[in-house]
Amino acid sequence: MSIRINVTVNGVAFSHEVEPRLLLVNYLRDVLRLTGTHVGCDTSSCGACTIHVNGKATKSCTMLAVQADGCEITTIEGIAPSDDELHPLQEGFRECHGLQCGFCTPGMIMTAADILQNNPNPSEEEIRVGLEGNFCRCTGYHNIVKSVQYAAHKMKEVTV
Amino acid sequence: MSTTHGLIGKSVKRVEDRRFITGHGKYTDDIILPGQTYASFVRSPYAHAKILSVDTNAAASMPGVVAIFTGADVENVNGVPCGWQVNFKNGHHMKEPKHPLLVADKAKHVGDAIAIVIAESQAEAVDAAEAIVVEYEELPAIVDASKAVEDGAPQVHDSAPNNICFDWALGNPIEEVDAAIAASAHVTTLDFVNQRLVPNAIEPRAYNASYDQYNDKYTLYTSTQNPHLIRLLMCAFVLGIPEHRVRVVGPDVGGGFGSKIFHYTEEALLTWCTHKLRRPVKWTSTRSESFLLDAHGRDHITKADMGFDASGNITALRVKTYANLGAYLSTFASCVPSYLHGTLLQGLYTTPKINIDLVAVFTNTTAVDAYRGAGRPEATYLLERLLDLAAHEMNMDPAELRFKNFIPPFDGVTQPGYQTQVALQYDSGNYHGVLEKGLAMLGYEDFRKAQKEAANNGKLLGVGFSTYIEACGIAPSAVVGSLGARAGLYEVGHVRVQPSGKISVYTGAHSHGQGHETTFAQVVADKLGLPMEDVEIVHGDSEAVAFGMGTYGSRSLAVGGSAIIKSLEKVIEKGKKIAAHKFEANPEDVDFVEGRFVVKGTHHSAPFSDIALRAYVPHHYPAGLEPGLDFSSFYDPANFTYPFGCHIAVVEVDKETGKVQLTRFVAVDDVGNIINPMIVEGQIHGGVVQGVGQALFEGAEYDENGQLTNGSYMDYCMPRADDFPMIETASQVTPCPHNPLGVKGAGEAGCIGSTPAVVNAVIDALWSGGHKVKDIRMPLTSERVWRAMQQ
Amino acid sequence: MQLTGNHVVEASPAKVWALLMDTDTLARIVPGVTKLEKIDDTTFKSTLGVKLGPVSAAFNGNLQMENVMEEKGFTLKIQQNSKVGNASAAIEISLTPLEETKTAIAFNGDVKLSGMLATMGQRLIGGVANTLSKQFFSNMEKELLP
Repeated sequence: MSIRINVTVNGVAFSHEVEPRLLLVNYLRDVLRLTGTHVGCDTSSCGACTIHVNGKATKSCTMLAVQADGCEITTIEGIAPSDDELHPLQEGFRECHGLQCGFCTPGMIMTAADILQNNPNPSEEEIRVGLEGNFCRCTGYHNIVKSVQYAAHKMKEVTV
Repeated sequence: MSTTHGLIGKSVKRVEDRRFITGHGKYTDDIILPGQTYASFVRSPYAHAKILSVDTNAAASMPGVVAIFTGADVENVNGVPCGWQVNFKNGHHMKEPKHPLLVADKAKHVGDAIAIVIAESQAEAVDAAEAIVVEYEELPAIVDASKAVEDGAPQVHDSAPNNICFDWALGNPIEEVDAAIAASAHVTTLDFVNQRLVPNAIEPRAYNASYDQYNDKYTLYTSTQNPHLIRLLMCAFVLGIPEHRVRVVGPDVGGGFGSKIFHYTEEALLTWCTHKLRRPVKWTSTRSESFLLDAHGRDHITKADMGFDASGNITALRVKTYANLGAYLSTFASCVPSYLHGTLLQGLYTTPKINIDLVAVFTNTTAVDAYRGAGRPEATYLLERLLDLAAHEMNMDPAELRFKNFIPPFDGVTQPGYQTQVALQYDSGNYHGVLEKGLAMLGYEDFRKAQKEAANNGKLLGVGFSTYIEACGIAPSAVVGSLGARAGLYEVGHVRVQPSGKISVYTGAHSHGQGHETTFAQVVADKLGLPMEDVEIVHGDSEAVAFGMGTYGSRSLAVGGSAIIKSLEKVIEKGKKIAAHKFEANPEDVDFVEGRFVVKGTHHSAPFSDIALRAYVPHHYPAGLEPGLDFSSFYDPANFTYPFGCHIAVVEVDKETGKVQLTRFVAVDDVGNIINPMIVEGQIHGGVVQGVGQALFEGAEYDENGQLTNGSYMDYCMPRADDFPMIETASQVTPCPHNPLGVKGAGEAGCIGSTPAVVNAVIDALWSGGHKVKDIRMPLTSERVWRAMQQ
Repeated sequence: MQLTGNHVVEASPAKVWALLMDTDTLARIVPGVTKLEKIDDTTFKSTLGVKLGPVSAAFNGNLQMENVMEEKGFTLKIQQNSKVGNASAAIEISLTPLEETKTAIAFNGDVKLSGMLATMGQRLIGGVANTLSKQFFSNMEKELLP
């Protein structure tokens, strides 16, 4: 049995027949071939699969594709304003060496974007608490926190 | 960024980041090949069980099923090998029971693979695997290494009596060490466990094997730290297929930490299956599988005695360790507790007598192998815990005690290296320097005042030290060969100058987070006086890179970088000949300066690109000189490198709950010369957090039946962003005297130094409150710390 | 994992015993039982559904009674298999008369879990076992109501 879903991903409308048990993350990776969203665990703990569903950070392994029917989805591939530009967070991660192996990075950036959306001026502690659902084994989080601070600063500059 | 010289030592932003921050990295699981099939495994739920029957009938007819193989199908295929042979004390070879690709008779740990199902989709493979019925006869399991050697303990392998893989000793004769301990004014004794850790690279292991029958060519995409080594082991030892018919690619790899060095059964099994099926077969581990299958780290049970004379000089060190190897011998499992652990027991100290006695043991648990630091964290933990505890017991200052016992500074050039009691010769060191710097950064005297004040107000503050050394730049082939290594540990660096003067560099080192594409390009651009954009670093593909030993043991720059330097020297030397011909000069009169070939004492000079073009368009060219500008070099290091440093942790312990809060962490590391400080700092940060993870949060817990009871992220406590303060780092530079870059390696330093510093800090906090606690078992959970305070 | 507990019911040991020996009643009062089939006097085949936090599973297997002492107690041996792992247990169940119509039921045993049940369920099983035994006794009390 398949169910038809209609979703908008990174501004593009898609319509697919999917198995009811298909996870949203597998829909993005295997059907749409947007492989920037990663799978790091099977218990919704690591945050590598974080995307935005209707503007909110969501672990896409916790959601079925059919639940995303009618939703507006943004993945790491669609967070920058254009192909030739970077989102301030993407820039921050590069400037501050906020990534090493890069596997957790898309999820980190998507979560951080949600943090900054709700709190444009977060303290170090607020950033750390906000990221506690995302695991990184490489950076020790130090430079990830700095990357988010960099982006917060940059985004303020832009809006001023 | 387009500067030429002076790139070495600059925090250049990473060139690989662009693809990762935009979601365009390419990891193995991102790859889907035409005709792709997917694998799922039936795995033993028991730690030790006879397999009575495997019924695949129902599964075979399920939708999408392409093939099912069981242990019987691969009975005649070799198992995966161990890469390092250690001998018993009596000279006999270690026990090497077969590690089959699928088990047919007996499961030896939870997760042992019994059958593989290959189907058109992942979901169909999983469904069919669940329909396979296996009948087991459960056997008693053994988990604890020290109990596994007792008579009557369950036997993991019939061929290894008392579950002993090997026993081993190193250092001064035990009688001498016993006598020195007996004659000591004070002896500090510690019985402790260095607990088992799950490496937990965030990318789960993934493989995709394909076979092109028309060209008789295999391709294996694998999340590995060393593609060439995997190819060698798989072809020569397991499957018996010719190496030149196999391409192994390690694309972007999402962290390794040691766990992706090893040749796993799934790599060989998928390659075997694709040949049978003529279709690509892919398997990506679930996290639950990772917990049960990725080789774990540490797991030592140790008793150590350190003797001191009346004024606090170390007189001797005696160590007895049981090392748990798990159910099978993983690729480097045998050398980790022996040659990477026992040889580091000199630490930074002048200890005159040292002996380690080791028993390496099989149990019904996941295999244990190298995990960030590999043996060296175990040695450092042992030494540094003893030092701080001895200081408490003798009522001395732990920093003073260290200064008293440090090996004096030596540069390894004008002064010789330091010969230890445990086989190694340190290259260069200034151990006083890092501790002095650390104390200054901490504000040690002020801290001790604050600690006293806090204790008077009922608050427990503690400071813990760890001054560590590691052996990196692994390794001189002849040395490791004499110790049992079954491979050389040189590295390959190939520099291909393109006709336009652009550079492609092929390195046998593999980057899975370390930033080789940046650091190596910095080195090459600096040496050739070119902009970094003109240099490309290629790694991870056996088809592109001639050969290589991969990345582990903080070796990439020290060994791999040196191989590149050797090739660059050959490029420049040949370039001088070409330039000399152009200017009708002698090659000896040509210098290479700032990216130009210059005839000494003249205004004649040619840019690098001009000479490169001449090499490929050799119309006016030196007689007898081959065209082209393309050199490959093997670099075999003269010695290990020995990074060292000082880590200091400050903690606050809640008296009511035992909760530990890490409030400060100071790390002063000396990793030799530094190419990219930003990347080195990042390595230190990550290592520190991983090491603190061991001290405070992590630990694999088995029940007595051999079940891993915390095999998920819901139960295994990973370090999180909000567990840490900002880490205070600084560096000291004592160049390595024996490699051309003077570098020592930075990948493991943080993880080696940090663990004992944190545990020492907690113990110090407890002593400040009058709790004279010797040891608390890691991880230092609130409960364990609270219980220690109640004694 | 150790499983121990006791409970007092308002019924004579004879009445409680009769209830424990009746397959149909047992199937009603043991939580999660979807099928219970008597093979012989002391052996049952069962199908159970249990939810352990994130893991929910259908179990198939045997229940076997050993050391049966009329109206006093027995040892219940359980071997249950599922796709997420297996459970085995040996539980001693004893009945002690307190008054004419009061019986103390005590149980004590060891439960072994394997596979995903052990790696993911272990943390939760204590709580789940408590809940299940509470349900069992409250179901039993309902059965005992006149």
